[in-house]
Amino acid sequence: MSLRRVFESQPDRRYIMFGGKGGLGKTTLSATSAYWLAQQGKRVLLFSVDPQASLSDIFQRDIFGKGPVPIMENLWAQEVDADRRIKDYQEEIRKKILDMYGFEKVPEEIDNYIAAASAEPAMEESAIFDAVVDIIVRADYDYYIYDLVPLGHALYYLSMAKVYDEWINKITKLREDMRQYDQVAATMRREETVQEDQILSELTYIKDRINASSRILTDKARTAFFFVVVPEEMILLDTKKAAELFAKFDVPLSGYIVNRVLPADLGAGTIPPYLRNRIAMQKKYLDDIKISFGDEVLAYVPEMERDVTGLPMIERLARRLFDEG
Amino acid sequence: MTDAAKPKKKGGILGVFKDIVYGMSSHEMTRHAVRTRASMEHLFILITMGDLLGVPILPPYYSLRLLPYVTPQIAGWKRRMLRERDVTDVLG
Repeated sequence: MSLRRVFESQPDRRYIMFGGKGGLGKTTLSATSAYWLAQQGKRVLLFSVDPQASLSDIFQRDIFGKGPVPIMENLWAQEVDADRRIKDYQEEIRKKILDMYGFEKVPEEIDNYIAAASAEPAMEESAIFDAVVDIIVRADYDYYIYDLVPLGHALYYLSMAKVYDEWINKITKLREDMRQYDQVAATMRREETVQEDQILSELTYIKDRINASSRILTDKARTAFFFVVVPEEMILLDTKKAAELFAKFDVPLSGYIVNRVLPADLGAGTIPPYLRNRIAMQKKYLDDIKISFGDEVLAYVPEMERDVTGLPMIERLARRLFDEG
Repeated sequence: MTDAAKPKKKGGILGVFKDIVYGMSSHEMTRHAVRTRASMEHLFILITMGDLLGVPILPPYYSLRLLPYVTPQIAGWKRRMLRERDVTDVLG
């Protein structure tokens, strides 16, 4: 099956992720797939949460922290700025406290806590996680293409959905139990209604969002995760290990894309020994890939004559990848 | 036997006097400090190992979201958690 066939035969798989070690072409393949899908008339959002994201580089314009930026018809790209998001969020919390209690200023102790929270190591991670939840649950695009961070981190982000899902269910349950005591007390005092528990409402809101995104990211019918590999020994070994780990976290693995394949005609004629050796090495690992991954390989992407940046180059790669097989 | 391992020599009348002064002036303060330290120990374990007691720790992004609702209770809650008496008082 080819990548094109995967998109065409499984139109419900609208959440697409490309993962792999750093520097193998995840962003290139994400952008190329996004470009092709947009050309087919689908509304596509390509996004990244990596602080060192390369979407700005590949589209040759600064989109960092600017929300979804239109790139061409039907295609938007977004790079999440976690620091900015945390700062805005802190401001939002301060404002909410002022509004709720009519304070002139936020009490010093509370304000210090808000300020200190941003220095917690888990703050950035949970803020990034929430940014992804935000993007995914809105469902206002036909396709979401998630340009993931390198493997270890990607697994971490994906597993977070599952971990947070369990956390939030526990906390909400605790609050619901507290609510039951309120109700018992109200009944004994013969009160008609129990005051709404705003914390429970807030927890339920967070829980629904986390549950929804966790469901989406592990749903084989809606999500596809593609591994990007290149024909080199270390990469193949690492990818095999990662695939086992990803499977444990219910990541819907959907196939492999082999990038940087040297053109077949390169070996013709007299060539320097260095190149001959490189070609022989690649052939060996391509055979290895065929044995290990077999039908799960969806595309062999040729090494291009120059780096893929800018729309014209992305278009050329898209043609080779989707139209010429 | 090394010097360090030898039992401490009593300081005679001066030592007794020192003990009395300690008992009158600092003992209560010391007891208070030790108790506060114990309360804080409980808090610390609650924060780091809360999950062992079934107190799940919320990711910081989401706990901030709840902060506005508990703002008026924070001061009282802190007093309660850090108050002199601790759980062992109830048991004893």
